[in-house]
Amino acid sequence: MAAQALPTAGLAATRQPRVIPGLGLSLGFTLFYLALVVLIPLAGLFLHAGRLGPSEIWRIATDARVVASLRLSFGTAIGAALFNLVMGTLTAWVLVRYEFPGRRLLDAIVDLPFALPTAVAGIALTSLYAPNGWLGQYLDPLGIKVAYTPLGIVIALVFVGLPFVVRTVQPVLQDLDLEVEEAAATLGATRTQAIVKVVVPSLLPAAVTGMALAFARAVGEYGSVIFIAGNLPYVSEIAPLLIRIQLEEYNYAGATAIAAIMLVISFALLLVINLLQAWSRRRITGG
Amino acid sequence: MSIEVRNVAKQFDGFTALHDVSLKVEPGELLALLGPSGSGKTTLLRIIAGLDFPTGGRVFFNGEDAGHRHVGARGVGFVFQHYALFRHMTVLDNVAFGLRVKPRQQRLPRAEIVERAMRLLQLVQLDAFAKRYPGQLSGGQRQRVALARALAIEPRVLLLDEPFGALDAKVRKELRRWLRRLHDEMQLTSVFVTHDQEEALELADRVVVMSNGRIEQIGSPTEIYDRPASSFVYEFLGDVNKLPVTVESREAIVWSRRFPVGDDMPEEGVASAYVRPEDVEVSATAQPGSVPAAVSHISALGPIVRLELDLEGQGQPIEAELTRRRWHELDIKRGQHVWLSTNRARIFIDQPR
Repeated sequence: MAAQALPTAGLAATRQPRVIPGLGLSLGFTLFYLALVVLIPLAGLFLHAGRLGPSEIWRIATDARVVASLRLSFGTAIGAALFNLVMGTLTAWVLVRYEFPGRRLLDAIVDLPFALPTAVAGIALTSLYAPNGWLGQYLDPLGIKVAYTPLGIVIALVFVGLPFVVRTVQPVLQDLDLEVEEAAATLGATRTQAIVKVVVPSLLPAAVTGMALAFARAVGEYGSVIFIAGNLPYVSEIAPLLIRIQLEEYNYAGATAIAAIMLVISFALLLVINLLQAWSRRRITGG
Repeated sequence: MSIEVRNVAKQFDGFTALHDVSLKVEPGELLALLGPSGSGKTTLLRIIAGLDFPTGGRVFFNGEDAGHRHVGARGVGFVFQHYALFRHMTVLDNVAFGLRVKPRQQRLPRAEIVERAMRLLQLVQLDAFAKRYPGQLSGGQRQRVALARALAIEPRVLLLDEPFGALDAKVRKELRRWLRRLHDEMQLTSVFVTHDQEEALELADRVVVMSNGRIEQIGSPTEIYDRPASSFVYEFLGDVNKLPVTVESREAIVWSRRFPVGDDMPEEGVASAYVRPEDVEVSATAQPGSVPAAVSHISALGPIVRLELDLEGQGQPIEAELTRRRWHELDIKRGQHVWLSTNRARIFIDQPR
């Protein structure tokens, strides 16, 4: 029996009964669903853009106005994501580690950027930071212009991206054993050393996940940005807006080309972030 | 280094974890804090370490008030129940941590730190695992890493919170012996917390039995086992038969034999007599001062044979322990009638609860 079974062992292993059944059905369904919702629209996008031919795509990709808008979109998104990485982690720290009146309210407020229509947020931020707005009137004399500049875009993106880092770091911080910090203290570490050497490395994978989400959200953000950006070509015109302008001019091919370029860059950046994460996760689990 | 705890009390909001506890640990001693969960033993250990602060009283290290000294400055090695290893660091980095966080002028050169950490890993027999991460080790190995890490800062005091609590029986036994050797070799003063009476009695020079935030008794393992100071200590340490008795004129009758009550007991009242199973004498024939009983259950596992005996007019069965040889001599079968007697019983007046 054993001798006969041996040659087919490799094949048999894949047919072994599993503890969790239904792999075939659920995998098939998931693939179908992903194809329907994500892959087919994206493939359509590339197909449409592909009709232009390589030289035409290259011309669009190197067009000064397109390059400026892409640089602005990705630059502000990265800037806002990094800012959210630091501030979101800090916010999560305060929410988890301290007991204070109004903590639950503060915790709920963190989700507001998720719930608020982004156009509302954009209008609110614009009226705040306009040169005659509540905050803008104090910043303007100092020479700091927020509304209708890239800085305004960053502020809008920080606003919409804030919940991502907070919500990914919070549960990890809750699970982080206080004993680990106490162990560091008994070994003679100062509070700063304990934070830098013990706490931060434990939170990093989650914080980076949150940052990646905030970044992804920021790249595609439209509603809140167009109000505060001022949309001056070459200065404060984001790539999604440029796509819209192309669409309004019935230049569908040009619009899809810019979209495809954005998609490729986003994908590359997310891939880098994911690799970074896999690397830091491996260090923690030691797998 | 000696440790003295003087009138230490600890209150968490509305709950008193420690009531006025005083205790002295002699240099070189291995002391066990023994008690059920919620008895305040871990709180006491954490106060000694400086991880918690007492609401009253003081802690002295070598006669010097340690109250104002920060945890890191106390020179205390602390081993946590769940190891509290740094998961993102290798085993070697974990052990070296205490050496690397020292202020620059006290810090050893890099190579020397690694060398010393490696020596400690050899001591705990984990030098082959230096490059692994804690997640790749078994529970016993992790606990040894935690110990090596605590020892790296060359503490004069080693404090261990339920060090073997999460390990299986065999590993626990090995680590216990190993800890005893280490303690003696490194001439440490050690205090460990446990709820396992066997562990406390086997390992410690002295045992502190705690209950409800108070010290019930301090003494050597033999003292604690043979002369428990209270009914709580009797019941907590080992198996014991608890028999209801009535005290009259400073005496109580246990199985037709008279036993005096302690001097600090009231003259009469409802009381309980405590008889350890190994102090129950079983014989096949009636002896002076013995009572009849029926054998209801025999468990003959290992060198000790346990009997369960039904006594007339007594709800609870009596437990007795015999050596295997004695059991063979008596040739006891289930259901057989035997005679019980004892010459060791302690009487405690029942505390109103």
